[in-house]
Parts: sequence; C-alpha cells; structure tokens
Amino acid sequence: MSANAVRSRSGIHGHETASGWLFTGPVLFLLGLFLVIPVLMALWVSFSDWGGRGSPFSAGVHFIGFDNYSKLLAGGGLAEQDFGTSLRNNAWYVVLVVPLQTALSLFLAVLVNRAVLRGRGFFRTAFYFPSVTSSVAITVLWLFLFSSTGSVNKLLSYIGITGPNWFNEPSGILHDLLGVFGVQNGPAFLTGGTFLGISWWDWLAGPSVAMSAYIIMGIFTTSGTFMLLFIAALQNLDRDVTEAAMVDGANGWQRFWQVTLPQLRPTLFTVLTLGLIGCWQVFDQIYTGTQGAPDKTTLTPAYLSYQAAFQDQGWGQGAAIAFILFVIIVFFTLFQRWVLRERKVSRRKMRPYLSVGTGSSGVPAGAAAAGQPPAPDGERQ
Amino acid sequence: MQKDTMQKDTMQKGLAVRILSGAAAFTTVLALSACGSGFGGNATSTGSGTAGGGGGLTSSSSALTVMIGSSGNAETNAVKSAVADWSKSSGTKATVIAASNLDQQLAQGFAAKKPADVFYLSTGSLAGYAANGSLLAYGDQLKDTSDFYPTLVKSFTYNNKLYCAPKDFSTLQLVINTDMWKAAGLTDSDYPKTWDQLEAVSKKLTTGKQTGLVVSGQYERLGAFMVEAGGNLMNADSTQATANSAANVQALTYAKKLLTDGAMKFAADTGASWGGEALGKGLAAMTIEGNWITGGMQSDYPNIKYKVVPLPSGPKGQGTLEFTNCWGIAADSPNQAAALKLVEQLTTKSDQLGFAKAFGVMPSIQSAADSWKQAYPQLAPFMDAAAYAQGVPAAKGSAAVVSDLDSKLGSLAKSDPKTLLDETQKNLQALLK
Amino acid sequence: MSITQSTDTAGTKQDLVRRRDRNGTMAATSVLYAVLIALAIVYIFPFLVQVATSFKSETEAAQSPVSLVPQVWTTAAYRGLFAHSDFPVWFKNSAIVTVCVTLGRVFFDSLAGYALARLHFRGRGVIYAGLIAVMSVPGVVLLIPKFLVLNQVGIYDSYTGMIVPLLTDAAGVFIMKNFFESVPISVEEQARIDGAGTFRVFWSIVLPMSRPALMTIIILSFQGSWNELSHFIVSTQSPALTTLTKGVASLASGQLGGPTQYPLKLAAAALMTVPVAVMFFIFQRRIMNTTEGAVKG
Repeated sequence: MSANAVRSRSGIHGHETASGWLFTGPVLFLLGLFLVIPVLMALWVSFSDWGGRGSPFSAGVHFIGFDNYSKLLAGGGLAEQDFGTSLRNNAWYVVLVVPLQTALSLFLAVLVNRAVLRGRGFFRTAFYFPSVTSSVAITVLWLFLFSSTGSVNKLLSYIGITGPNWFNEPSGILHDLLGVFGVQNGPAFLTGGTFLGISWWDWLAGPSVAMSAYIIMGIFTTSGTFMLLFIAALQNLDRDVTEAAMVDGANGWQRFWQVTLPQLRPTLFTVLTLGLIGCWQVFDQIYTGTQGAPDKTTLTPAYLSYQAAFQDQGWGQGAAIAFILFVIIVFFTLFQRWVLRERKVSRRKMRPYLSVGTGSSGVPAGAAAAGQPPAPDGERQ
Repeated sequence: MQKDTMQKDTMQKGLAVRILSGAAAFTTVLALSACGSGFGGNATSTGSGTAGGGGGLTSSSSALTVMIGSSGNAETNAVKSAVADWSKSSGTKATVIAASNLDQQLAQGFAAKKPADVFYLSTGSLAGYAANGSLLAYGDQLKDTSDFYPTLVKSFTYNNKLYCAPKDFSTLQLVINTDMWKAAGLTDSDYPKTWDQLEAVSKKLTTGKQTGLVVSGQYERLGAFMVEAGGNLMNADSTQATANSAANVQALTYAKKLLTDGAMKFAADTGASWGGEALGKGLAAMTIEGNWITGGMQSDYPNIKYKVVPLPSGPKGQGTLEFTNCWGIAADSPNQAAALKLVEQLTTKSDQLGFAKAFGVMPSIQSAADSWKQAYPQLAPFMDAAAYAQGVPAAKGSAAVVSDLDSKLGSLAKSDPKTLLDETQKNLQALLK
Repeated sequence: MSITQSTDTAGTKQDLVRRRDRNGTMAATSVLYAVLIALAIVYIFPFLVQVATSFKSETEAAQSPVSLVPQVWTTAAYRGLFAHSDFPVWFKNSAIVTVCVTLGRVFFDSLAGYALARLHFRGRGVIYAGLIAVMSVPGVVLLIPKFLVLNQVGIYDSYTGMIVPLLTDAAGVFIMKNFFESVPISVEEQARIDGAGTFRVFWSIVLPMSRPALMTIIILSFQGSWNELSHFIVSTQSPALTTLTKGVASLASGQLGGPTQYPLKLAAAALMTVPVAVMFFIFQRRIMNTTEGAVKG
C-alpha cells in the first residue's frame, strides 16, 4: 500500500471498494455459510425424502414435492395432530406472554424512571438480572420452584391453596375454569369439528397448567430486557410536550395515555415484534424441562421440529415444520405492523401538545443494542 | 407530524430493499451451494459394505467407537472395562462414549456418515434406522443365534433379517416394600395372584401419604396389564395393530378403576420421577418396575427393604412386558469385522454375567439363565418372566405412537380407555400402510 | 423534605400545578416504593431460593422449599457435581467458546461495521440490505440446517464447529455501524491525509476510540455465547465437547431412573450463572446505559 499524499476522488473509491469487501468479507462469508446456505439446504430437505443417512444431496434422495408439508397440514395422522397440538400450545404462549411482558416491562420502566426515585440502580438491577441468566439455568430453577413440593406450592399453602403438580398437570386452564362452573364437555359444534387434528374445543383449552408455568417464566425472564428499552425511550421523550400537558392540567394518567404512550410507539413496536418472534421459538426451556410432557401440552413447533428430525429420523418433516413456523412468524410480524400502523385519530389527540416541541428521535438504535435490526431509522445516512 | 410519514416511507422502502436483497442473497447462495454439493459426491464412495448385503464386511485398522446410553456410572464403567479387555486381547483400539442423548447422537452420527461403530439400539429405533440403511444387518454372520431368547431375536428382526445381537433384556414385575407390607398385617401368602387380589392389597396399603401401588403412567408399565388380559398394542411380529382389542380395553379399564379408587397413583402425581423413587421415598408400598430397580435402590435408597414377586395373573393368565436393546453396528463403520468380533465377545456368557452384576440386566442368552438365577435368587421372578413376557411394538414409527399414547395415559383417570386405544389403533395402522 | 416551602401564595397556574403535584407526591411516593419493593422481592427471591437450596440436603429441599437458611448446611450437592458429572469439562468448554466468540465478534463486527459506516464502495447497499434480511431469519429455522452444513463442511463435533458459526452476528455489525456513524470523521481523515492505510486507520485510530461500543459487543456476545444451547446441541456429540448449557440440560432432564436431586441441579444452575452474574455486576452501569447510550448516539 503506497502512501500517496494526494489521491484522486476515484482513486480513494477504488481503493475503498477493495477494503470494503475485505472488511465485510469475513462477516459475509460466515453468515452466508452458516445462515443462508443452511436455510436453503433445509428447504431442499423439506421437499425431499432424505432419511438421515449421509448427505441430503446424495443420489438416493428424491424430490417428493409437498409430501412432508401435506402430512403436517392435512395428513390426518399423528404428524398432523402433533403439529396442531404444538401450534395450539405455542399460540396460547404467545397470546399470554407477549401482551403481559410488554405491559409489565412498560410498567416497570415507568416506575423506575420516576425522577424522585432513590435506589433506582438497585431496582433496575433486580428487574434486569433474570434476563442475563441462561434459559437452561432458569428452567432448572423453575422445575424446582414449581415442583409438587416446591416453593410456589409451599407459598400457596400458606394462604390455604393446594397447588397443582405444575409440570405434570396437562389440563388446560380455560377448561379448568369452565369446570369450576360445571362445564365438563364442550358443545357439539366445538367438539365435532377439528382443525389440524385437534378439536375446536381443545384449541380453546387454554395453556395447560404446565405451560402456564413456562408462561410465567417467559414473562419473568424477558420483562427486564424490554424494561431497558422502554427506559431508554422514556428518557428520550420530549420534556416540553410533557410539561405543556402538565400546564394544561392533564393528570398523570391522562398524560401517560395521551402524551407518553403515543411517543413510545416505535419502542412499543420493537418490543412487540421482538416478543412475538421470540415467543414463537420456545425451545431451550422445553428441551431442558418437560420435553413436551405432560400430554404433549408443552410441545412447541420448535421442539417438535427438533424431535422429528433428531429423534424420529423424520428430517424432511422436521425441516417442513421449521419453515411453516418461519411463515407464521413472518405473517404475524407483518400483521402486527399493519395493526400498529399510524392512525390519524391518535395523532389528532396528541397534536395540541406536539405543537410545542419538535419530534424526538426514534428508538431503533437502542433496539439494535438489544439485538434487533434498527428497522425504520436504520436506513438514514 | 412530518416525522411519522417519513418513518412510514422508510419502512416501505426498507421492505422493498429487503425483498430485493433476498433475491440477491438467493443467487449468491446458489453459486455457493454448487461448491457445497461436491461433498455429496465424495460421501457415497465410502459406504462399500451396504446394509443387508450380507457379504463382505469392511475391515481396517481404525479404532472402534462404542456409544452407549448409560443408566449411570456403574453401567458405563462395566462396559468400558469389558471393551478394554477385548481391546487388549484383540489389539484393536476401542473407546466407549456414554451418550447424553443416545437417539439424537445416533441420528447425528448417521447423517454425518461418522456414526459410532457399535452402539446400543432400542427396539423402537431399529426399524427406522434399518429402513434408511444406517444399520449393518449382521445377524446371519453371528456364530450362534440359537442361544438368544426367540422373542428377543424377533424384536430385532426387520424384513425377515436379524439386524443385531440382543444385548440383554429386562422384564416387569411387582416390587413390594416389605416393611409396609408387614405393617398392613399382610403375610407371604397374601402376594396377589389375581387382579382382584392386587386391588385388595393396594387398597389396604393405601394410607395417608402412602399409596398402595405407584407406577409410571405409561404403556411401558401398564402394558403388563394388557398382556395379562391377553392383548398388546401389536402382534408379536409388529405387523398388525391390535391396540383397541377388547383385552386392552379391559386392561386399561382395570387400571383406571385402581386410579379412581385411589389404590394406584402415577409416579408423576406423587412428585416422584419413576416407581423406584416413589418406593424409595416411602410414597409407594408397591410399584411395577423392571430388574434395573435394584441398582437405583442400592445407590439412592439403601435402607428400603423390598421384595420382587410375579405380577398377578389377569383374565388370560400370566403376562408382562419385556424390554431389550441390541448391539447395533453401523453400515458406515470402516471396521465392521472388528465390530462384529467385539459384539460376539460382549454377548458371551461371561461378559453378560459381568454386566448383570454391574447394573442388574439379564443376559440375552438362555444358557446364562441358571447362573443368573443362582447369583440373584431374590430377583428370580424377573428371569422367570422370560417364558411369558411380550415385547413392545417395533414397527417403524411406533416409538412416536407409543409416546403419544404415553402422553395420554397420564390422564387415564379422566379419560375413556376405548377412545384412547382407538386413537392409538388409528395411528399404528397408519404406520403399516 | 418540608412541604412548607411554598408558603407564598402566588396564584399562577404553574405554581398551582406544582404544588398539587408535591402534595400528592408524598402518598404516591410511598405507594411507588411499596410496589417497587414487592416487585423486587418477586424478582430476586427465586435466585435466593436457588442458592439456599443448593446447600440443603435433598429431604430438606423437599420439606422446606421456601426457607433461605438451610437448617443443616451441606456442600454435598457441589461435591456430587464435581465427583459424579463432567462439570469441570463443561465449564472449560463454555469458557473456551465464550472467549473465542467474544474476541471474534469484537473484531469482525467492528471491521464490517466500520466498512458499512465509513467506506464508500460498490455493493455496500446490497450488503447492508442482505444483513437485514439475514437478521429476520428466526433462529429456530436453523436448528436442523446448521447441523447439515456443519456436517457437509466437515467441522461437526469439533471446537471449530462450535465456535466459527457464532463468530459474527448481524446485530453486532449494526451496533458498530451505528456507533461509527455517530463519531466525527475528522480524526480519521487527518490520519488518512498523513498517509495511513485503511486498515491502519481502523486498527490504531478507530478501534481505540470505540471502547463504549466494543463494550456493548463484548457484553452481548459473552452473554449470548455463554447461554447458547441449541447451537451446541446440533454441532457436537462427544462428551468432551459438552458445554455447560448442554450438560446442565442433560442433568435436568435426568438420566433414566435418577432421583430428582434438586440441590445438585440447582447447584449446577447457580454455578453456571456465576460468570454472567460477575460480568453483569462489573459492567452493570455499562449494560444499563447500553440502550440509553445507543439512543442518544
């Protein structure tokens, strides 16, 4: 490399092209090799009859079209039923964890972010700590806390409640709730029809008691991370807008709903998206803990995919499950983006306050720190 | 606000860029995977000794790997020392690996074309691996197969070929805590001979935190009742599904009655992970377990006194389940000849009796039965069961069906036996198509 | 804190608002603290139980699962862990992988992030978009295929296979890129005019300036690789390569017929948490400010 004191503009650029590719080369190579190629290979496997011996590209492996997919989606057999069960389980997990963890983390962030608070560092640490520990360690702890003679049942016994044998209880909590009112069996129109091998009545069973323990765990471990994102966003809020609202006599509750929350929309979007993506991929906890038991009510698509491939030699089927899951995640992410799109109404409500200051900068950079693409603002130069 | 619209724009732009870049990435990868496929070509050349070929075994100087799914240190050490002895005498190096998840590690090994040479193989996994060509069917090359119990040989026969040599076997019987037995005023003459008697003693032994009979809530235990009633999930050759037979319904109905009466509980519902733990922790007066229970009791609950008696006869006489593993040899092993010799050594009477001593299994050869019974008279009922025990289904994919049934048996008390079994019947039939 | 300060009764609107706020604050603050403390207990208590139980006997763990002080202190669980399992091996493997991965990410992520932020070259836009696309692939889809590729490439069941696929992460590249874009370019330009090559500039001028962002990468990748499970499930099989996550998971799912052994499992879980906890407390301020810093930047 010669050191020219004076270089032409194009010279610099030509030089930079080489360095640019050289600098990004390792990352591109590794991501290509261990991310892009694997996905394509798995795509092939999901359309093949590869039985798990030797290379999936060897001569004896055939293209079998959508066979693996149709077995899962309309096979009528155990495969479809297992897949349906896993989707049911995971859907309830998502439905409960995503809103609850978002609400809780926002609540924690708002509390901790109070200007007057002493010991703020301590509280932030306490809430965030579960997020740094590994899911394996937390699951081990959870298995103990929620065992039949564990801490949770002991605490419940102090208030006169006999706790269930959490990780061994397959009954759905909504069914349990209906059972309290004497409803044991669903109406015929629900028990009659099935979807993915599961009757509608069973789709509506709610998460099993065992899954509920995982749900609590999910909320417990992720609320800290999202709390940090919300804190970051809160500290970045436009003080002027808030103060203008105060002058107008809006009380804390009104200020939160009409001023703070709308400004948090980008963060809210990030948190919901991250939550949604993460919650559809429950694997570590199941692998470490119940492995689908009891009565398959903690089976998740991610674990089923692993099980089909690595335990039952159904590699094509395992890969197909993974891709269906991929599609589900993409679908829900886009759906959510559509639901949370900007609406005129909310902006109009905010307008009187917004006129005071200029808009705040977005949160995406903070999102990046938590391992998420800085989706919208990232493009800015 | 302007900002909002700006953001929306960039979002849309971002989406477009993403789609475009996806296409770009795709083409890059096509180019890359073209290089990648070269590996596939090479891989085919190594597998010269194809499964079921029956002819020449591969032979080389490479060391053997033996992968086992171990129940604990006792088993690992026993296999290690037996293999080391063979190594010394044969001159072929061999190492033993205790897998943390045998099924998964075998699957990965086969896919990688770098499987362990010799490994434990369960009846449930045999068909799957035999079908995809991962296994060497070496049955016809064993010097003597007539000494193995015929039911065990049947368990490892797939498409009329004996794939591997039975390693050992276990059966289920009734295990009784003798102190609790006495405390309830029962004597040796009260050991249950019929289902009714079992029900009666179970009720008598149920007091406070102690349950009369505690078993794991799965086919692998309750199936004993099915055999006693004259049924089982599949026929002996695993070529026909018989899951919803009247006998099986009768068996599960009986089990359900025990549950609803409180005379029997599933281990999980008592907080124990298996029957032995329930027995050891004093939660159970009786359990149904196999001969492996001795090891667990000795190491974890040495103070519990217990006795093994035959399970009671059902409507169709005596019956129980038997479980077995075999020594699989990989089709892709570069040194099958040595692997075969190792397996022959490991299935000799002396080695099998050594394993029996170390971790409580029963030898797979009939000629070792008497020595075994002499050495362990208190466990004789397990060995006697060889005469009437039946195996678990071995059809391809049956493991998944059985585990599906197991998952539902957990709530047997609240469900209808016939419905459960109909479901299993449907799933088993699907496998046979 | 006295409330009597605002005795002058000047009745501007703002003063009214402030005073009303202050009066309400006393009660509100106590409620706030009560809620916070209750929540903090909920968050911390499980970990205290974990540590306490690991020093109990198995019977005591079942009998008094809530008490934080064992009646009889015993280190049996820890001794059992070291005597009857490969815990030291697992620990060693986790440490090796974590150190390599962390170093790798610091280097590769910052290198790529720098190129994307500063260098003008053909294809930059495509690379950037590609990275975003890649990040949207959920990890679970990769479980099976990663194994297939490791297998094809021939690095299955080796340290290489455990470490190399984790060496970069797209998110890290983004963090670095964002950081570099927030630093003024003048220093580098000076160096370039002085004749330093691109890599020289990056290595001796840019990197030393990037301590804050690098810390973020270190923290994230340390935590990420130490806690990683699924990649190690699919990339290894031999016991000698088992990491803590994989080993403890196998302990938890229990070898067939094993007793529950909660103290032992909790001891393992507690020990495996120690390094991340230490990391966490050392860099606490940094972690807590990670997101804030990034936003402000």
